[in-house]
Amino acid sequence: MDFTNIINGFGVVLEPMNLLYCLIGVLIGMLIGVLPGLGPVATISILLPITYSIEPVAAIIMLAGIFYGAQYGGTITSVLLKLPGEASSVVTVFDGHALARKGKAGTALGIAAIGSFFGGTISIIGLTLVAPLVASVALSFGPPEYAMLALLGILLVSTIGNGGGLKSVIAAGVGLLLATVGRDTFTGGERFTFGSLALADGIDFVPIAMGLFGLGEIFYNLDARRNKLDTPATIANIWPSRAELKESSGAFGRGSVIGFFLGILPGGGATLASLVAYAAEKRVSRTPERFGRGALQGVAGPETANNAAATSSFIPLLTLGIPANATMAIIFGALLLQGIVPGPTLIVDHPDLFWGVVNSMYIGNILLLILSIPLVGVFVKILRIRPAILAPITVLITLLGVYTVRNSIFDMVLVIVFGLVGYLMKKFGFEPGPLVLAFVLGSLMETAVRQSLRIFGGDVSGFVMRPISGTIIGVVVLLVVLIPIAKVMLRKRAEKKFGVHLKPGESVLGVALAKEAAVDDTAPVVTTADGEKR
Amino acid sequence: MRSRPIKTIRRTALTLSALATIGLIAGCSGVQNGASGGGSSEGVDFPTGPVELQVGASAGGSTDLLARALAKDLETPLGETVTVFNQPGANGAVAAGDVLNSPADGQTMMLVSGSLITITPLFVEEAEAISLDDIQIVTGVGREDYVLVTNKASGFETIDDVADAGRMINYATAGVGTGGQLSQNLLFDDLGIEATDVPFDGGAPAVTALLGNQVDVASVQVLEAMPHIESGDFVPLAIFGEERSEFLPDVPTAVESGHDVVVTQTRFVMVPKETPEEIVDTLADAFSEAFDSGDYQDFLAQSFITADETDAEETAENLQEAKDSYEEAARAAGIVE
Repeated sequence: MDFTNIINGFGVVLEPMNLLYCLIGVLIGMLIGVLPGLGPVATISILLPITYSIEPVAAIIMLAGIFYGAQYGGTITSVLLKLPGEASSVVTVFDGHALARKGKAGTALGIAAIGSFFGGTISIIGLTLVAPLVASVALSFGPPEYAMLALLGILLVSTIGNGGGLKSVIAAGVGLLLATVGRDTFTGGERFTFGSLALADGIDFVPIAMGLFGLGEIFYNLDARRNKLDTPATIANIWPSRAELKESSGAFGRGSVIGFFLGILPGGGATLASLVAYAAEKRVSRTPERFGRGALQGVAGPETANNAAATSSFIPLLTLGIPANATMAIIFGALLLQGIVPGPTLIVDHPDLFWGVVNSMYIGNILLLILSIPLVGVFVKILRIRPAILAPITVLITLLGVYTVRNSIFDMVLVIVFGLVGYLMKKFGFEPGPLVLAFVLGSLMETAVRQSLRIFGGDVSGFVMRPISGTIIGVVVLLVVLIPIAKVMLRKRAEKKFGVHLKPGESVLGVALAKEAAVDDTAPVVTTADGEKR
Repeated sequence: MRSRPIKTIRRTALTLSALATIGLIAGCSGVQNGASGGGSSEGVDFPTGPVELQVGASAGGSTDLLARALAKDLETPLGETVTVFNQPGANGAVAAGDVLNSPADGQTMMLVSGSLITITPLFVEEAEAISLDDIQIVTGVGREDYVLVTNKASGFETIDDVADAGRMINYATAGVGTGGQLSQNLLFDDLGIEATDVPFDGGAPAVTALLGNQVDVASVQVLEAMPHIESGDFVPLAIFGEERSEFLPDVPTAVESGHDVVVTQTRFVMVPKETPEEIVDTLADAFSEAFDSGDYQDFLAQSFITADETDAEETAENLQEAKDSYEEAARAAGIVE
């Protein structure tokens, strides 16, 4: 490892102009990321032309800043308005928004900011140390590995919802069906497009997520004729307490590791990372029933993981020339416009660029943390605006945001349609989360399974024979068959021992804790402000 | 009470629009006098405002980058801002439908990938393809070659090595209806070997799959393969152009290796069919000025795009010829009926 270059990289970042561009990038990213619908991809492509006239290093530093800035901005809307701008912040909605309803919006955002910083930093250290090595390992993830990874993800999805297990499965099933709309990748034939050219490429993720979560929520509130959102009385304590930090510390650590490794894989990236981190937190938690009702770990884990993944997804781009996701594809384009072709020779040919960009992320993450603490207070004030004013503005911004992603009027119609679907789902107790995540993973899985079968010449045993996909199958079997059986046996024994009868989804320890602390809000049955029995 | 503000607004609006009209006329005549190649005709005011260059693909890809490089250098000769507008969908058919339905005043044009006209119709339903009869071509722009590459671990060094492997060959494509699919399809049919296509969602994932040895070969655009050819991870086996690529002079064409397969990706600019000739000429002149700019030349070299700045007529002929030959070859190979 050539440490001179790494040190020189810091020299590059600390040049006043580069530092300025880093600050501008983080700030712009965060501000635009706060607008619903405008996630990192849209923000970067809108601002791409600005980078033409800037030096390559400064340009990429700024774009990277926009990227993780916008990622954090998306978290803010997930928590405050229940509007995930990106697939990777969908799971943040579950507990982040629940915390906001309990008046802990500040804490949720503070934890997310600290988690993002932590995950980003760990990921950068990883990137610095093992970038070239890890990138080549990622290449052994071919279609069979993705197929199994997606299968694992979909199985995890069905355990995420708060509604009944059956309702989660139905929602996930609808998500899988929606994923089949569009052109068949293999034959070019159209499926469920009803002759519409606008549907030929399938449905975009953004209108689905924004419709189900955002508009659906607004419609639901209108229907309930509530002229008051459950505005938290006090929004203080943005900086989490020592106890809260301690509670989240495990999630920070696990999220960083999960995010770092999943971010390197081309494809799923930050989305898969946040999803797996959420599921992991729910599984290791002693009180899984608190998830979806405002568990701090449910924000800390995924937020740490998606930032770690966002950072590590630079590894395949900078070391192999492979853009792992849409944002990286645009940064790839920006590098090309600057006359730099990313690839295996980039570290050697442009060490100042490589290490400059990597090290700018250390600085950028510090800036993000410093900026977010005071600005969170500003964003939280949004909650105090009356719904009568806030709702139409949110609808308008949502529609504009959706339009800018693909310049498509059709997507604006779609977001309204999914808004109505989201409203109906909420009314009848279905969770939109499993639907959206199954939609994302469904197309990944279908394509990967079919690609794999072509590669295997139709022989299904190929999945088991390959070491990595075989291992993932082992994990799937463990999760789906062995653990549930073991749980049932353990529960039977525990019920006998404590003389209680447990509902599905409750852990023995959770119930014991709940009995102890029956008065506070950690108890499994909480009546939220909108009158729902949770 | 209420009528007064409305009157005031109306009056203000009238005044403003009158001023705007005067400004427009003054502005346009200024452009006509100032622009070197443009405004050869009297009576047609063009351009009358920002010009839009549509791209049927998302930001960051090679069509998009080409459009942005051109837009920058078009602004001087046209005397107006040129904005790039991405509208991805159905290999450009969504954007093309939009452009062809916009007014034929030259304010909206599109940078088209030739495959939308020449290859896509072979693989998808008719409604998505556009015909040469529906459009007015402004100018040809450039050509991107497809290169057949293999991972160095495969040990293949020529097309014949692939044919002699004596086993089923897996080949990656950038998706249905792409030049990469057609070129390999035709080649393996000509070689008479058993080969299975594994479609990916774009050139980049296809390259990744080849890097990870998930497939045996792939046919992708030169830009996509070049970093890996330079690093030695990929071995280029053949170019599917009519002649060798200026960027890979040592790589033989498929034709040189005895296989009559020619597939390239051409790019050209189009406007709606009824656009007046004067406007098309003004645009064509502006493009030829942009082509000469040093920045644009640098861009072409960096992106491994070969200049192919044929005029409207020649571009149309080339496209028709390519379409016919692809169709014939695909039919002969039994790829389409």
